[in-house]
Amino acid sequence: GVRQAQWLTKTKLVEGLPPAVLSIVDDPAHQLEDHEERVKHAVSHARLWDTTEVAPRREHYCPVLFEDLIHLCRLMSMKYPALTKRMLARNYKISATWERESILLQVRGLNGMLMNSVAPIPPVASKEEILATEEHVLETFYPISPTIDLQEVHVYKELNDTGFRDGYPYSHPHTLFFLESANIRPNRFRPEQLRAKMLMFAFGNALAKAKVLYGNDPKVLEQPIVVQSVGTDGQLFQFMVFQLNTTDLVSSDGVKNLVWIDSDQNLYEKAQCIPEVKKRVVTKPAGIYGFQPDTFKKFLALYLHGTV
Amino acid sequence: EVAAGAAPYLDMRELRSIACDALLQESFYQHKKRPFLYRDQDHTPGPFLTQLVSTLAAFLCGRNPLLAASSLDLKPEVNYYWHHGEEVVAHGHRKGRVDPVRFQIDDNPHLQIRVPKQLPQIVPLESDLGDVPVIDHKPSKLPLFKKQYENKVFIGSKVADPCCYGHTQFHLIPDKLKRERFLRANLEDQIEVLYRANGIASLFAWTAAQAMYQGFWSEADVTHPFVSQAVVTDGKYFAFFCYQLNTLALTAETIKNNPRKNICWGTDSKPLYDVVEDGSVKGFNDEVLLQLVRFLLNRPKEL
Repeated sequence: GVRQAQWLTKTKLVEGLPPAVLSIVDDPAHQLEDHEERVKHAVSHARLWDTTEVAPRREHYCPVLFEDLIHLCRLMSMKYPALTKRMLARNYKISATWERESILLQVRGLNGMLMNSVAPIPPVASKEEILATEEHVLETFYPISPTIDLQEVHVYKELNDTGFRDGYPYSHPHTLFFLESANIRPNRFRPEQLRAKMLMFAFGNALAKAKVLYGNDPKVLEQPIVVQSVGTDGQLFQFMVFQLNTTDLVSSDGVKNLVWIDSDQNLYEKAQCIPEVKKRVVTKPAGIYGFQPDTFKKFLALYLHGTV
Repeated sequence: EVAAGAAPYLDMRELRSIACDALLQESFYQHKKRPFLYRDQDHTPGPFLTQLVSTLAAFLCGRNPLLAASSLDLKPEVNYYWHHGEEVVAHGHRKGRVDPVRFQIDDNPHLQIRVPKQLPQIVPLESDLGDVPVIDHKPSKLPLFKKQYENKVFIGSKVADPCCYGHTQFHLIPDKLKRERFLRANLEDQIEVLYRANGIASLFAWTAAQAMYQGFWSEADVTHPFVSQAVVTDGKYFAFFCYQLNTLALTAETIKNNPRKNICWGTDSKPLYDVVEDGSVKGFNDEVLLQLVRFLLNRPKEL
């Protein structure tokens, strides 16, 4: 899970979201009018209303919910015109390779959606915090090898590719979105594995960008690169902010990278498609129960981060 | 052709850059594998249209409060079922009896914007702008009505949704009906027919389904016209359509004394750009973009 991903990417974990993002969450100026109503409508639309059948399947409602939430976030560009400088790329391909204590690792392939922006996100941790990570010791799980459960492949070309050509105006990866939308439970990632996947791909994107900007030599970065990621299965949300401080990944000492994770945020408890009837009396009418507006506020804060 | 929603000042440079960026990303900058066989539309024009519409809608929602309250659907389903005309049953135990002819449209627009308020009417309800051609043969001879499975009426979401009126639909022409195929078969005049047929059929189904959601049907005809817009495109050529539904009474009994007609206005297809080469778009046509923006800015007079 996440601990293995931390060792592989030389990262220190901090629980909860960074203070920069939390300040956007708490600021009431960064919200749409009657946004609770709008988000409830978005959830109802995705879970209840979008199909001619009685209840939509997860493969259908997970992407629809995501599209509706992103549409609501995009409408914020009324207040902040700089938000139009963002481009969503579906089916993008990333490749990044790095060495970690004489084991060559790589991250590749189609995995989710990436939102790019023209301007990079400013670093979230201060210089002191970055230097403080030098003392942090990475957790090892002796005798289990850190590369357990990773697919072993023959690598002929060590590729580092951001997925876009040079000269692309929206060149900074901003946020990655992962939708676990398989219908059957075993085909979906568990929350712990989803968080690990988010961490690996955020790291891969940041590393590919760092190699493009600063070259292939391993070094500590002057301007750390920040990539965010959001993972969901249609109901539970995982938020993550990753900061790449160093590309020197061969040894386990020195400055480490940082990640802030806010896990298992429920947007709503239950979506009742047909009313529950016990002994000919409607006990639970159809609708959304246990709605939590804070989860959407965090989603919006991650979207606005870097522009406000 | 109708242009609605005059704006005080439109930043053409900004709009042009949004459109060009979306186009360049999908066709040039993003690394993509080769398109699958006969799936060219999913490879570049589909994602380009989605990007363009979502970014333009977000950019213009400050101008148009209706867009700020809108709901965007990707690949929704639109269905409508109605009766029109009569036929005599040919075979079976009901032979010789008179039956209404049943029509069903099942449509899948690429993108759809639904809003909580109705668009304003373009011409008054009772206006008559021409005659409707009469066709005698059965609907199952036309490819649109060959297969009828379930009789459904659906606008894109169920009745409980507050965004129950339609604003604009975006249709993508499938690969089988590409321009090149028509040109190769020497059927250039049929290209426009394709766009028009798509516009009229999809918009009729959508507006009529919206009217049915509000409680009108062939016996209780609509009291105010239902207006929606559509853009039919193949990624490069755009055709714009605007439809006003004045009547739902199309069954054999109700059509006898019904003077009202439904009206559709449309343009021919025009290219948005000439070619994309080496990271720049050549021959960009501002007219087409302006028309698209005017469509998106359309709203009731009160707002």
